[in-house]
Formats: sequence, C-alpha cells, structure tokens
Amino acid sequence: MKSENLTLNKNGKFEINFTLNGKEISAQVKPKETLLEALRALGYKGTKKGCDTGDCGSCAVIFNGKPKVSCLMPAFAAHKAEIITIEGIGSVSKPHPIQEAFVEAGAVQCGYCIPGMIISTKALLDKNPNPSEEEIKHSLDGNLCRCTGYVKQIEAVKLAAKKLAK
Amino acid sequence: MPEIIEKYYSLKELWSSLNKLNKSRKYLAGGTDLTISLSYGEEKTELWIDISDIKELSLIEDRKEFVFIGAGIKVSQLENNPIVKKWVPALAESVKYYASPSIRNTATLGGNYVNASPCADGVLALAASQASVVLNLKNRRRTLPLLSIIKGPKKIDLKKDEIAEGFLVPKIKHEAVFYKMMARKRFGISKAGLCICYRANNKKLEYVSIALSSVAPSIVKAPKTEEFLKNKKIDQNIVKKACEIIKSEISPIDDIRSQAEYRKEIISVFLQRALQKTIG
Repeated sequence: MKSENLTLNKNGKFEINFTLNGKEISAQVKPKETLLEALRALGYKGTKKGCDTGDCGSCAVIFNGKPKVSCLMPAFAAHKAEIITIEGIGSVSKPHPIQEAFVEAGAVQCGYCIPGMIISTKALLDKNPNPSEEEIKHSLDGNLCRCTGYVKQIEAVKLAAKKLAK
Repeated sequence: MPEIIEKYYSLKELWSSLNKLNKSRKYLAGGTDLTISLSYGEEKTELWIDISDIKELSLIEDRKEFVFIGAGIKVSQLENNPIVKKWVPALAESVKYYASPSIRNTATLGGNYVNASPCADGVLALAASQASVVLNLKNRRRTLPLLSIIKGPKKIDLKKDEIAEGFLVPKIKHEAVFYKMMARKRFGISKAGLCICYRANNKKLEYVSIALSSVAPSIVKAPKTEEFLKNKKIDQNIVKKACEIIKSEISPIDDIRSQAEYRKEIISVFLQRALQKTIG
C-alpha cells in the first residue's frame, strides 16, 4: 500500500472517509478530537462517554473487526476504517438477540455501560459462539458497571449465546 | 496539535520520506497514551507519522538463537501466538493482566516500551525474558539491552527519528510466572509487579531471571536476588532469605496508587509465591 497524507483544511479540520455501520461517511474532524467525540458529534450517541481515559469501556466500538475503546483513538485514525457502533447492531424496534438477552436477564439498570458490554459480547460471540464463564469474564474485563454488578451480565452473555445458536 | 498526518506502510517508504519532512514530528502507533495527552492539549507536535500499519513492525519470527517480536505488534496478538507461548511465556502470560481486551486490540508492545512507564506490563515480561531492543534509524540498527535506554518515567534515550523496531528474546528453555497487584482482580495499573523466568531441576533453580514493576523509576531487574537464587535448591530458608534480599534491593515510593512499605511487602509475597511455584 502507498503512503497516505491528511492535512488540515482551511477550517482547521481533517477530512476523513470511513464506513460507519455499513454506510460510507465523510466527516471533518478536529485535530484534538477523539473518535468517541467525533462519533457523538455525528449523532451516534449510543457510544457513551464515561471516563474518557480508557478505564470504563462504555465507548467501545468494533473497529476493523475488533472491539476498541474509541476514547483512546484520535478521530483522524478512523480514516478508511470500518466501524460498527451500537446503532449498527440493533435498534429499539429491532433489537439484536444479544440486546434481547441483556434485557431478559435483567442485566440493564441505568444502561450507561450497556452499549460497551454489547460490543464486547458481540466481538466474543462472533469468535467463540459457546464461551465458558471464564472466557466471558475475560472478554468483559474492560467494561465497568456501577449499578448491577456483573452476575446478571455474565448470565446475559450465556443467554445470548443460546439465542444465537438457535 | 497535529496539523499533518503521514501514514506509511513500509520502513522503506518511511525512511525515504523522512528527509522531505521539515516540521517537528512524532510517531503514532496504537495511540492509547498519545490520545490522552492529545485531548488534554499537551501535544504540540505538528506532524504525526502513523506507523501503526508498517508491515516490518508486525512480525513475530523464530530466528535461530532468538525470537523477534515486532514493536508494532498489538498486545492482543501476543496471547495465543505459538512462538511467543513457547519461547517468551512471560509475555503471553502478561497479556491477561494487561489493560482490557479493547485496549489490547489497540495498544502496541513497542508503544508500551517507548512510553517508558515504570508499570509497563509488557516491558516487565520482556525484561524478565532477558530481551534486547532493536532500534532502527534509516536502516542503521542498534541492538541494546532492553532497559539501558530507559532513563526514568516517560524518559527514553532515542535519537531523533529513531524507532524501536522490535525485541530480540534469547531462546532459553524456561517457564514463567507473572504477578501483578492492582486495585481490582483484573484491568488496572499495577501497584507492584513481579515476573520471574526460571528453569528448575529437582527443586534446583538452574536458570532464574527476575524483573519488577512499579518499585523504581523504571522497570528494574533484581540482580542480587537472582545471584543468590541461582543453582540453589529451593527450601523454606532459601525462600525467606531471597525475600529479604529482594526487599533490600528495591526502594519504591508512596504515590497515588500505593505506598512504599506495601509495595516492598507485596514484592516479597510475590517472590515467595513464585518460588513455591517453581518447585511445584
């Protein structure tokens, strides 16, 4: 591949192109902006801003096929990437089986950490459809919940695996 | 603040373009540390050189007497790599304790090194594995002992434009134990850490290498303890003496994450547990 270059335009922004939830997107992003801030500015507010320092996992997105925290990535790093946010996984009217499982298992209280949890679960189950409890704990390592604790969420991932196997 | 981002996919391209670039510049790999300083407005550099997809930096190779691990390797790629598991078990083991899965998919081993933090988990494992660092500036390479260019927290002695290309780990048959004390069971920055690489034969330590994190301005080795343990048959007395020695060769500080006294104590407990493990 040949080298690439991004230079600030006259508005003091980088112009980037990327695929977001399957759609081609062009955006102008500020040099100091994180991917998290850029996504939220574009209206994708399902990606939550928690700690902003990589500690809580609420801002996780699937970036080129892998879960990554979007607060630890400059927005310009999204140039030419493929990104899936929680909006690309399911909606209120058409929830993904993982989202249904989280609701049914009672794993959602305030809900702030849930988009990150769903992203981590999706990444886990795509790779490993029948994970052990230890593997579930390992993949939810970086998602902190301040309401329910983690028991229900581990149950939710098990339930999601069952739903997806059907 | 970045004004220009140049992204390269090969070292050849990088080195041939460097002369044409005349602004203050900085390399960007995973960016997990840089993004925080960027959002806090601490980054003044105008030109950022993105090396996150340079193919030569993403190699893990078995090279006769050494294993080469590219500096651009993402931390998550280390956990199940067969070469790493066989020859650098400490590094494979460290991944479990290393930030979170979503950070491990972004952060690079080389970034962990050049960031020069005293609590760097990857560097702790590499130091215990007796690794050297390979530095590269326009294809002029220097291979140096891993810790020799780390001068303190966030201080590393690299030449202008020089990059860490990767790490060379000698192929010595051994096992490893990695311990890290955090605020939680998983996913945290270490209060203190100990990594020991060893080969035991009939309870005797034929080979032993120990590194420690968060007890000094950088990752450090424990040479006095290593010297004492080498070729010793491990029993209760030896463990007790080794724990005294290791406490005497570190001088941690009180800071936001822990206290000096606790850090000393925990290192001694970790060593005790590790030595018990070496004899099964």
